Amino acid sequence: MLGTLNTRVMLEYLPELLQGLQATLLLSVSGFAGAMLIGIIACALTIQPLRWPRAIVIAYVDIIRATPLLAQLYFLYFGLPRIGILIPEFHIGIIALALNSGAYVAEIIRSGILSIQRGQVEAGISTGLSYLQRMRHIVLPQALRPTVSPLIGQAIVLVKDSSLLSLISVVELTRAGQRIANERFMPFEGLVATATAYLAIYFLLKFLAELWSRHNSLPDRA
Amino acid sequence: MIEFSGVNKWFGALHVLCDIDLAVTRGEVVVVCGPSGSGKSTLIRCVNGLEPYQKGRLMVDGIHVGQEPRRMRELRMEVGFVFQSFNLYPHKTALENVTLAPIHVRGMSRVAAAERGRALLERVGLGDRMGSYPHQLSGGQQQRVAIARALCMQPKVMLFDEPTSALDPEMVKEVLDVIISLAGEGMTMMVVTHEMGFARSVADRVVFMDQGSIIETATPESFFTNPQSERGRDFLGKVLQH
Repeated sequence: MLGTLNTRVMLEYLPELLQGLQATLLLSVSGFAGAMLIGIIACALTIQPLRWPRAIVIAYVDIIRATPLLAQLYFLYFGLPRIGILIPEFHIGIIALALNSGAYVAEIIRSGILSIQRGQVEAGISTGLSYLQRMRHIVLPQALRPTVSPLIGQAIVLVKDSSLLSLISVVELTRAGQRIANERFMPFEGLVATATAYLAIYFLLKFLAELWSRHNSLPDRA
Repeated sequence: MIEFSGVNKWFGALHVLCDIDLAVTRGEVVVVCGPSGSGKSTLIRCVNGLEPYQKGRLMVDGIHVGQEPRRMRELRMEVGFVFQSFNLYPHKTALENVTLAPIHVRGMSRVAAAERGRALLERVGLGDRMGSYPHQLSGGQQQRVAIARALCMQPKVMLFDEPTSALDPEMVKEVLDVIISLAGEGMTMMVVTHEMGFARSVADRVVFMDQGSIIETATPESFFTNPQSERGRDFLGKVLQH
């Protein structure tokens, strides 16, 4: 099957594919940066004592987790113009990815924070440390460490999810591959080319995750 | 220094502290004992506001606990607390555990805090373990770091919540010795413990609790030789048997 692969056409479309790769990387990096920002804020709002902000965040996380990303994407794509917000598809894509992953990031960070034993917080309280001081010196330095691997996992998911943006005519990797299918009637060549690029991104992130965990799983930190 | 007047606390329907009246004066060492679930830990956790209470009045160093939320940090600076499970910060060295609050709460310089921290760790016999992380220390060593951590804030009162219950028997003494030396210096202390020998030698007064109430308060001598209450006799019969 692969023996009949038309590599000449794939090479011919290399500039388009690289452009698509560049767009996918830009979407992923901005989307994930947004997701981290949203996730940290959302998480902060769920662990503070006020009830209303907490309820809003819980509703947000539930909605995102209950509905498909494609539905969320169309919701923004068709919904934003109806309330008078006209922004390019590319930006809608970043917003959708950030909102979607943000909910998962919030949950990941929250699980890290909840893993800190209550006793350490009580020790902080007993010595007079304020809420913010306890967060800064006791909770966060420990809570964030175990979240790095799941966060890289979420980043890998986000990269693949960005392929859905081809459906709202954002020209990224998947869309670039589809051009080979549409213009040359060679869907298989397009798929192989895009899959190879996704694989490369995946291995890069996996390498980072392994590097991090190797560096941080030393038995003795002293 | 510490004054409970008619303090009551409920966990839902469970009445965990019933009409507690107790006054601890400056320099006094009060040992709280009683069967598990009698409310001993809850009692001392109320003193620095780790547990709220619902009725009555609790004054500590002139601060009405629970009624003056803005002064709670001020109160906690003056009240050291030592937990059964040590609760050291695992990502910080022994010295960092001890100096964290003095630097950020008292506003001490790092140099001054480290100097005081080193002196305290020396004092609890850990001069050679300043740079060790909690997981590299034995239980007894961890608890001594925890005591140094509380002392580094230079509190007026120290509270101990079963400080030796999580320790292997051979480590109990090294921790009790530190507490005994503090008592010798006139520190005001409330100690929840099952170590009856220790209670007898160090306490000015013994408070015996059962089912959320103070059943009797006495000098250690009279409590251990001649308990006034039926439940006190029963309890001593069980703990002193072996």
